[in-house]
Amino acid sequence: FRPAVAQEIIRDVLQKHLEGLVYNPESTVQWTREIAEDVRKQLKGEEQFDSRYKFVVQVLVGEQRGQGFKLGCRCLWDTDTDAFAEEVYTTDSFFCVVTAYGLYHY
Amino acid sequence: SSSCSSVFCRDDRMEEPVAQEDVTFNADEVNGIVKEIVEMTLGTASYAHNKVSQWSSEILEAIIKRLTATQKPYKYVVTCSIMQKTGAGLHTASSSYWDNTTDGSTVVRWENKFLYCITAVYGLAT
Repeated sequence: FRPAVAQEIIRDVLQKHLEGLVYNPESTVQWTREIAEDVRKQLKGEEQFDSRYKFVVQVLVGEQRGQGFKLGCRCLWDTDTDAFAEEVYTTDSFFCVVTAYGLYHY
Repeated sequence: SSSCSSVFCRDDRMEEPVAQEDVTFNADEVNGIVKEIVEMTLGTASYAHNKVSQWSSEILEAIIKRLTATQKPYKYVVTCSIMQKTGAGLHTASSSYWDNTTDGSTVVRWENKFLYCITAVYGLAT
């Protein structure tokens, strides 16, 4: 699971979905869902990743209001085969963090 | 082995059949563990920017430790977001490609007067 490849995918999806948008409480629910599904579908379709990989995609969208925010993660996995990729997309009205984890199923 | 995709968003949760050898993701058990740890770490703390890193690490490490102690043949991904309460909105969604019969996730939302803490645990059978 090469994080760089996953990162490219995430970046493209974010550009596609969020370009030019402004934070809106009603539609954000939909955006997050769509982005998560889109990234997951593309990861699954990516030939460079072995078909035995399981994926978890997490999308977080928050309104920008000057609040403090911390996102951390810990994983119990096999460092030889598993990894994650993360991308952040920020605009004046919101920020979006997408993390994709690839875990190998033996 | 069969795999199929599933979409998880906020409160969705799958019903899993009880399997032999207990190779199922016990969402209730994990929920309990997470709630206990978050409550213990954050309690009535008010948002302190310099402490957030530490809290986040403590919570994550404690959860991983407890999950490891359950001795199940699983890999885990645990994420923790801590956000200051300023009236800003926050939305999360996740989508996973895994095995519905053995894998699962839970999200625990916790808050006090000053901050929100959202903890997600994804368990994938090996």
